[in-house]
Amino acid sequence: MTKRTKGDLLLDIGVYAFLIALGLIMLLPLASVFSKSVSEEWAITSGKVGILPVGFQLDTLMQVISSSVFIRAFCISVGVTAVGTLISILMTALTAYPLSKRNLPGISFCMVLFIFTMLFSGGLIPNYLLMRQLHLVDNLWVLILPGMISVFNMLVIKSYYESLPEALEESARIDGAKTYTILFRIILPLSMPVIATIALFYAVGYWNDYFGPMIYINDTALKTLQLYLQDVVMDANNANLTNKSIDDLMNMSPEGIRAATVVASTVPILLVYPFMQKYFIKGVLIGSVKG
Amino acid sequence: MGTGATELNRKSRAAAARSRAASKWRIAWRNRDYYVLLIPGLLFLLLFKYTPLYGVLIAFQDFNIFDGIRGSEWVGLEQFHKLVQSEEFGQVFMNTLLISVYKIVLLFPVPILIALVLNEVRLMFFKRTIQTIIYLPHFLSWVIISGLFVTILSTSGGLVNNIIQWFGGEPISFFVSNQYFRSLVVFTAGWKEVGWNAIVFIAAIAGIDQEQYEAASIDGAGRIRRMLYISLPGILPTVVLMFILRLGSVLDAGTEQILTMYNPVVYETADVIGTFVYRIGLGKMDYSFSTAVGLFNSVVGFILIVSGNYISRKLLKRGIW
Amino acid sequence: MIMINRKWLTLMLCAGLAASMAGCGSSGNSNKEGAAGGAAEQTAGAQKESGSKPELKTLNIWSKDDYNTYTLAKVVEEQTGYKVKYEMLPADKAMDKLNLLISSAEPYDVITITGEKAAYTDYAKMGALVDLTPLIDKYGENIKASISPESFEAMKVDGKIYAIPNRSSEFVGSSLMIRTDWLDKLGLKMPATLEELTAVLKAFKEKDPGGNGDKGAPLSIDGAQATIANITGAFGIAAGWSEVDGKLVAAPLQPGFKEYLSYVADLYKQGLLDKEFAVNKDATLKEKFTSGRVGVIPLPWYDIPGIADALTKNFPDAKYAYVPALKGKDGQAGLGMSGGFDRLTFIPKSSKHPEDAIKWINAKLDKDTFKLIAIGEEGKHFTYKDGVYSPILPLFTDERGLASNYLTGIDEKLYPVYWQARVQKDPRLFAGFTFLNSGIPAEYRISDPLALAPSLPEYSKNNASLNQMINDFAVKVIVGEESTDAVEAFIGKYNAAGGEASSKEVNEWYASVKK
Repeated sequence: MTKRTKGDLLLDIGVYAFLIALGLIMLLPLASVFSKSVSEEWAITSGKVGILPVGFQLDTLMQVISSSVFIRAFCISVGVTAVGTLISILMTALTAYPLSKRNLPGISFCMVLFIFTMLFSGGLIPNYLLMRQLHLVDNLWVLILPGMISVFNMLVIKSYYESLPEALEESARIDGAKTYTILFRIILPLSMPVIATIALFYAVGYWNDYFGPMIYINDTALKTLQLYLQDVVMDANNANLTNKSIDDLMNMSPEGIRAATVVASTVPILLVYPFMQKYFIKGVLIGSVKG
Repeated sequence: MGTGATELNRKSRAAAARSRAASKWRIAWRNRDYYVLLIPGLLFLLLFKYTPLYGVLIAFQDFNIFDGIRGSEWVGLEQFHKLVQSEEFGQVFMNTLLISVYKIVLLFPVPILIALVLNEVRLMFFKRTIQTIIYLPHFLSWVIISGLFVTILSTSGGLVNNIIQWFGGEPISFFVSNQYFRSLVVFTAGWKEVGWNAIVFIAAIAGIDQEQYEAASIDGAGRIRRMLYISLPGILPTVVLMFILRLGSVLDAGTEQILTMYNPVVYETADVIGTFVYRIGLGKMDYSFSTAVGLFNSVVGFILIVSGNYISRKLLKRGIW
Repeated sequence: MIMINRKWLTLMLCAGLAASMAGCGSSGNSNKEGAAGGAAEQTAGAQKESGSKPELKTLNIWSKDDYNTYTLAKVVEEQTGYKVKYEMLPADKAMDKLNLLISSAEPYDVITITGEKAAYTDYAKMGALVDLTPLIDKYGENIKASISPESFEAMKVDGKIYAIPNRSSEFVGSSLMIRTDWLDKLGLKMPATLEELTAVLKAFKEKDPGGNGDKGAPLSIDGAQATIANITGAFGIAAGWSEVDGKLVAAPLQPGFKEYLSYVADLYKQGLLDKEFAVNKDATLKEKFTSGRVGVIPLPWYDIPGIADALTKNFPDAKYAYVPALKGKDGQAGLGMSGGFDRLTFIPKSSKHPEDAIKWINAKLDKDTFKLIAIGEEGKHFTYKDGVYSPILPLFTDERGLASNYLTGIDEKLYPVYWQARVQKDPRLFAGFTFLNSGIPAEYRISDPLALAPSLPEYSKNNASLNQMINDFAVKVIVGEESTDAVEAFIGKYNAAGGEASSKEVNEWYASVKK
């Protein structure tokens, strides 16, 4: 199509070298976490496990994913993440739309109202009392409703809406389309890259949420995977901080189990991104609408 | 005569204001669909964010969890004094600012660069693989990352020091060196988050109208020129947005991260507000003090966001609102 | 437009998938709840005959297994006739959560926490707990028989008992572990004094018996525990507080503290103590020892099996043993013992069934029931011979490994005997335990004078942050960032941060018990 100049070639070399180096720096330390989950305990204890596993075995991993506590927590996390993400995307995409019309009276003020909550919060105790009043304690909806709209994500969508060519909306309006029709038939379909992005953000946010479940969920049957993971990891980390009895210390999970729990509870959410990536293919949609 | 003129003037100004207000309402009414769309979001905000906001009052009390806010004693600004007047505060505040500013200056541009560079990759498979790899570290908790880096940077058998020694250098104890510790904090924070933070810019690039690139290429613009004159301006709104929001968390230099990484030897350079407050509050359940510190951070953050937005509107003609 | 439709289709598909997954989650739940409900009805039916027993709701400390599904839940239910719903605190920020639950009056019938007397005292003083004194009198026959007056005394807040304690057996938990094969290789004796230890460390460093070529330090410690077990004993500060001229004095205020710091700082300067010890976590320490990079580390006996496995895999000829109590210059030596209470069980005011809660606790302390919960059935979970209980593995670990989580109060005479079965799970662990707790002369096993102290609000409030202060300061001195002369200034800060108030309170109590 276009001729390759020398500059382009140099650029290519630079680009690939940069990205490969970056990828290696990120991947190498990570590999050791994975390796630990499939290595023998003695090798982990003595720090022999580096990038590659030592004494490959899958028993630890199997032991983790076959435990009933893990399976139950996994199911709950998948459910909360899926439902939460859908609700959040819908709410956020809708709310961001009017906020992107910054010339309308009152919109700026509303925007400040939203941003204010990014910084100020009432803190743990009033929030807990509120959730109790709303009968949300020990209810899985508590993991979704209070975080339904992330202002950060909303700003990302809003800024995307603002970058869409205004002409699109105007011509639709001239054709007699109503606001809602424009939003659902034109704006949202055009915003797939950003919707995919915030879907990812929300999914990861719901999956990784640890504080919410820790505070608002007491029932052991409703614990999420992240809570389980944090507990397993932090239990060892806090060993000499808390008043543990000898029996508790003797019952602590070995490092192999901890690494396997990390791997087993992180891999599922990692799979979301590659799936979302196909929506990042640029600009196709705008062309199709205009055409 | 003169007074009459001002009288008249005032009248007409009032009338103008009235009519402006009226026309505002008229504009609003004509666009009521938009406001209807806003209702669920505002209700959400009111219920879940503003209702519990009375909790900040705890900062002005000597709060006792059993007496509640109504029953606890009011102490005014005492909690804030306690923070500001403590011997270590000056040092801790400086550390916080330094680490935060380093993080912003050194780490904020990286995700943008990554997004721009990734955009130049034509091999889809390669692009997706790299994208996925660099976002992985985001999913590890600081406890685990800290453990990883202690091993990699260890002076006895750690990978990095082995390399340094292989080149004939002296091993460096990164974790117990006041000289290197801040760099370590910045580097590991970058390691964990740059790939993740790049996503939002990658998405922004995906939103740029493809026709612009084609037009530029017909005009004979090389790829570097296209990167600088199309991609970069195309994601500028996102960059500005992210930057302004980043300003809001200046006083959070990464408490959780530092808490898992630091040790008494490097308190001098690494102790930040969050870790300091954590240490002196250990085992005490001092809700008022921690709320006061949180409020202090929020107020500073809010001021920075508002000023950032103001400056950006003046200079770049765009802001968040 | 077709493109767009396809995108929407995908989105719808996602939605469908999500909904079905949510279905998986919730249907799983409702099934479970249904099952639980059914069980509840059954037991309710059974209970009608033996007087109605309500379901009790309990809050417990974190455990990796679900209390409700672990074998013992059923055993307890069968033995006591009470259906119990167990909930647990998180592993991290447990006290934050507990405060929240107690202050918002969640209706738990029984709450069991670790030995956090500070929190317990707070709750009692705030009036959040039920006074157990009359309840124990009325329904607590087994409780009274099992728990000593001494322990109850330690639970008293303003003269009333609000908790049932699990008293922990007193023993030495940790000491220095040394590679004896390294000693043999160099023809050295097991060190018995501080000087000998220094000499051994020097020899380890210079002669490199591990043969790993790097001239790293031979001794490593955990950065969070800069007061090293066994070495502190040689300076007379093995316990956090000890008696000097009839008064209890905290370790930093004793002359031994400064001497200890200068000794360890000297080790550090000579390159005998790990340069990076401040960063070490538990796992790094074990890693260094088992990979042969260091020859001496402080190690609790319960960690022996893991270390032993790794060490022998890496070095089949490796041998290791605990260093005996090292003597200081005037013959001082000692290892600190843990003591006190490792669980406290109380009933919050918000409980709907306080009487049943006490009855339940009492029922669990019935001699046979208690034994069944603690170590199981003879011939199935343990064997009994010559006064010694030995576990039958793996069933003992599988079904009684978490037994301590189900004990709300213990039989203080019998439990230490039963408990030995736990230590015998692994012969190597048992050997370490025995050495520290009977191999070392009794006068060198130093008990904690505050173990059975009643609630001391000032002391409990400041203890955690003061300990952190001591550790931080010790680390700074050892690495040479502060000189040992800074100790005086540090003591000033320590006292101002609550040290003085604690000391006053502790000694008021101490004077009262000594009378």
